[in-house]
Amino acid sequence: MKPRLNFEWLHGCSGCEIALLNSGELLFSLFQLVDIVHFPLLMDHKYIADPGEEGDLSLPEADIGLVTGGVGLASHLKILTAMRRQCRVLIAVGTCAGHGGIPAMRNQWTAGQTMETVFSTATTDTAPVPDGVPALLDRVSSIDEQVRVDVCLPGCPPRPEMIIAVLEALIQREEQRLPHKSVCETCPTVRTGKGQATIHRGTVRAAYTPGEPLDRMRCLLEQGLLCMGPVTAGGCGGRDVPLCLRSRVSCRGCYGPVRKYGNQLLDMMNALASNGIDYRTIIDRTSLLRFSGAHGRLRPKGERK
Amino acid sequence: MNWDAKIIAFCCNWCSYAAADLAGISRLQYSGSIRIIRVLCSGMVHPQQVLHALDKGAAGVMLIGCHLGECHYLKGNEVALARAEVIVDTLEDLGYASERFELTWVSSAEPERLVKAFHHMIARLADLDRGSPVFTAGGAGRLINET
Repeated sequence: MKPRLNFEWLHGCSGCEIALLNSGELLFSLFQLVDIVHFPLLMDHKYIADPGEEGDLSLPEADIGLVTGGVGLASHLKILTAMRRQCRVLIAVGTCAGHGGIPAMRNQWTAGQTMETVFSTATTDTAPVPDGVPALLDRVSSIDEQVRVDVCLPGCPPRPEMIIAVLEALIQREEQRLPHKSVCETCPTVRTGKGQATIHRGTVRAAYTPGEPLDRMRCLLEQGLLCMGPVTAGGCGGRDVPLCLRSRVSCRGCYGPVRKYGNQLLDMMNALASNGIDYRTIIDRTSLLRFSGAHGRLRPKGERK
Repeated sequence: MNWDAKIIAFCCNWCSYAAADLAGISRLQYSGSIRIIRVLCSGMVHPQQVLHALDKGAAGVMLIGCHLGECHYLKGNEVALARAEVIVDTLEDLGYASERFELTWVSSAEPERLVKAFHHMIARLADLDRGSPVFTAGGAGRLINET
């Protein structure tokens, strides 16, 4: 009998699911590996989690549970707890589930401020928050802040090959081989050790000779572009060139910190300062936590402890 | 300050750790809240370690190295200085008061200067935490007098 799989989607954008559904033949290997018993995006399965609705949240029991997205609403927390209860192994899929991701950027403000900004803009400043908008939790958390998580698979989105490989390793009872090095590990650009002493604004593009391969281009960080490669977990391009670098664009940091409890902002600042680069030339430092604002890394401004 | 509060002091093996040794031999008094961690160079203390200490509940973190120009490894304390700027700025970004971090230079022959730095740090943290539960839970104001 094949292992049963639950797949649930919380505070995310569905990008992880789409990456998986868009992976062609790989999707069929997923179907061969497991029996999907719960996957709201693919299958019609009625269950109730939103407040105000009556009824129970009933999820089927499963051997493996995949969860994408972080936790931002009470209903997310409810679904996540149910998932943990019903699944023997729980896997956090994607950066939102593991580090908070883009939604966790709202942790820079209080939930009240967020609602106000979203619903009471300059043109609708007298409009109240409409009925039916669910109450926000005070902050967005990654799922491992709320429940025990067995495997954490980052990526925005994670490579479908990686998702399948994790499931295969799990089913074969093998050790998980997740990438544990930074983006720079597979980056072919030329490092000379001596670069710009300042960081350009985001409007500057990489300098390269058109037609020349990537391994003839200078490291983007040395060119003075804010590339987050050194502090970001690798794996976006598999064993090949990182994805953004293929387009000669600097790494945005979407795989989250290299080590689970690393801090991309602090690590990046440290990397710049110890190489003699003026980190104060970065316009908006806090935005380096754009993918990893959970785990209390982003806090409302003015909250000082 | 509450005696439960802990201050982590990263002391360089070649200067401030020896100074702490000398302070002990000279029977100079300082608070038991200070927890010294010996490091081979102040430049090896990664900002992540400072943040980790604070995340785990340390009241403050001190980084104590050799005077500039006197580094055993020639340039280690310059790295420490560059990193300290990062730490001060980034701690504020991450929601910590930057007063919780302090960088000081102490040579191995200056135990008084070291103890003074400890007293100064404790006084500063006591100011910062006055009124907070950590501070009022017990032993408020039980500072050892400055020498």
